Amino acid sequence: MAVDVAASSALPVAVQPARRRALAPASLAGYAFVAPAILLMLVILVAPVLIAAALSFTDYSLGNPGFDWVGTDNYEKMFSRSTYTKMLTASATYVLVVVPASIGLGLGAALLINSLKRFGDFYKTIYFLPVMAALLAMAIVWEFSLHPTVGIVNQTLESGCGTFLEQISDWYAAGCARNFPLWFGDRDYAIWTICFIGIWQGFGFNMVLYLAGLTGVPRELYQAAAIDGADSAWDRFRLVTWPMLGPTTVFVLTITTIRSFQVFDTVEAITGGGPSKTTYVMMFAIYEKAIKHNLIGIGAAITVVFLAFVLFLTFLQRWLVERRVHYT
Amino acid sequence: MTGHASPFSEALKHAVLIIGALIVILPFYVMVSYSLKAPHEIETNTGGFFGAQEQMVDEYCVKLGNAREDCLETPAIFNYTQAFKKAPLLRYLANGVIVTASIFLIQALVALPCAYALAKLKFWGRDMVFGMVLVCLLIPVHAIALPLYIMLAKLGLTNTYASLVVPWTISVFGIFLMRQFFKTVPDDLIDAARMDGMNEFSIVWKVMLPTAIPALLAFAIFSVVAHWNDYFWPRVVITGDRDLYTPPLGLREFRGGSDGSDWGAMMATAMIIVTPLIVAFLMAQKRFIEGITLTGMK
Repeated sequence: MAVDVAASSALPVAVQPARRRALAPASLAGYAFVAPAILLMLVILVAPVLIAAALSFTDYSLGNPGFDWVGTDNYEKMFSRSTYTKMLTASATYVLVVVPASIGLGLGAALLINSLKRFGDFYKTIYFLPVMAALLAMAIVWEFSLHPTVGIVNQTLESGCGTFLEQISDWYAAGCARNFPLWFGDRDYAIWTICFIGIWQGFGFNMVLYLAGLTGVPRELYQAAAIDGADSAWDRFRLVTWPMLGPTTVFVLTITTIRSFQVFDTVEAITGGGPSKTTYVMMFAIYEKAIKHNLIGIGAAITVVFLAFVLFLTFLQRWLVERRVHYT
Repeated sequence: MTGHASPFSEALKHAVLIIGALIVILPFYVMVSYSLKAPHEIETNTGGFFGAQEQMVDEYCVKLGNAREDCLETPAIFNYTQAFKKAPLLRYLANGVIVTASIFLIQALVALPCAYALAKLKFWGRDMVFGMVLVCLLIPVHAIALPLYIMLAKLGLTNTYASLVVPWTISVFGIFLMRQFFKTVPDDLIDAARMDGMNEFSIVWKVMLPTAIPALLAFAIFSVVAHWNDYFWPRVVITGDRDLYTPPLGLREFRGGSDGSDWGAMMATAMIIVTPLIVAFLMAQKRFIEGITLTGMK
C-alpha cells in the first residue's frame, strides 16, 4: 500500500488513479469524513438490531443481573397467547384498512385536483395540513370531537334526529333511539375510528406524491390513446395514467405500509390499546410490555417480527420496481 | 385533462373536494374554536365559532379565597393564559426547540462530510460504506426503539437531553440525499478549490455547503417537522422528569391529568404546539411539500 509519495502529486489525470492515490490527502480525508457516520451507524442502527435479535431468545429484564436463554418461547407466546394474537389482528386490520384507503383517497384527490381548472392549490393546501400538524395534538382534538356526549360529531348527529335521515338509515334511527356510538369506547368501533384518524392524517401525503407523479405523465400519451379510441375518462385512466403512475404507487404503497405498522400516538393517547385489546397495535405493545412492564424478551420478539415485516416489504418494493413497473 | 370538462363536471368535482376539505378541517375548526370558548359553551355546544366571550368566573380562583369579582375572566384570554399557567409550556416549547435544533445540526455535521466523501473522494472501501448506508436506510429508528432504550438505560442516560437527541444523530437518509446531490456538483469546482490550497475540510464547509443550501433546507424541513411532532421517542426515554418534556409530551400530560373542566386550555395548548409549523407551512408551501416528500426522491 505504501506507494511512493510522488503518486500523490499526480493530481486529476493519474494513470492508475484508484490505487496510486490510496494515501493521497483526499483519501485520508475520506476516511476521516466517513468515520463518524460509520461509528454512529454501527452503534445506533446495526447494534440494536442484533441486540433485539439476541434478547428475543431470553427472559431479560432491566435491573436483573443476569438472564436465561429461553429458546423460541417468546415467539411461541406471540403466536399463541390471545393478547398477542389480538395485537397481530389489530395491526393487520389497521394496515389493511389505512393503506388502501389513504392511497385511494390520495390518488383520487390528486386526480381531481389535477383536472381542475382553478383552485386546485387551495384543496392541496388543506389536504396537506394534517401531515404537518403534530399527530398527538390532533389525536386529542379528535378524541374530544368524538366524545360521546359533548363531542361535536355526536351532537351534530343528534341534531339530525327526527328528519328524513332516520328513514333512510337504520343505523341512524338506532342512534337516535338509543345513543350514537361511543367511538373509542366501543369495541366494535374503536379500531375503525383509529383507522379513520390514520387515513385523515396520511392521505394528503400520498396526494402530494401522486400530484408529483402526474406532472411526469407526458400529454402526448393521452392524445395517442385518444387516437387509439380511448375516449372515456376511465379508459384514459386505465390505459395511460395508472400504468404511468406505477413507480409512484409502489413507493407510496411501501412508505404508507411501513408508517401504518408504526402507528402509536393515537392509540397511546386515546384508547390505550383497548377496549378489550381491539386497538392493541404492535408499537403500543412494544411500549407497554417492554418499556412499561419491563418484559424485554417478548418486546424484543415483537421488534424482530416488526423488522422482518418492514424488510420483507422493502424487498418486495425493490423487486417490483426492478420488475418493470416503469414504462418510460 | 383534455378539452371536454363541462361546467357541470367541474362543479361536481368542487363539491366532492369541498366535502373532503370540510372533514379534513373539522378537527382544526374544533381546536381553534374551543380554545376560544368558555367551558359551559363547549359542553352545550353553543356560542358559535368564537363563543360569546362573556365574562366568566374562574371557580379555582374563587376556591383560593379570592372575591368573585376578582376572578372574572374573558374565556379566550383565560384559556391561553391557563395553557401557560397549568403547565410549564414555555419550558416544553424551549425543550422542543433545543431538541429539534440539536438533532438537525448534528445530523448535518455528520452527514455532510460523509456525503462529500462518498460522492467525490476516492478511497478503498468507499462502495462498502455506501452499501452500508443503503442497508441502514431499511431500518426505521422507531422500530428499534426497545434496544436503543435498553442501551441508553444501561448507560444511565434516560431522562436526559442526550437520550432525546442521540438516536437521531445519524440520518442515513440525510447522507444518501446529500450524496446524490453532491454527485451533481462539477468536479472542476472542487479541483479549483484544491488548486487554491484549500484542504478537504474547508472544501466541505466553504465550497460544498453553499452549493447544497437548497437540498439542505429541504432536509432541514423534513427533519424539524418529524422531530417537533414526534411523540413516541420522547415518551419512551423521558419517564419522570417534567423539565425535559417536549411539547407533545406536555400536552399528553395535560390530557392525562385533566378532569374535563379545562378542555379550553387544553385546546389552547394544542394550538400553541401545532401553530408554528402550520404557519411556516402556509408561508412556504412549496418548500415544505418538497421537504416532507423528500423521501419520494429515492
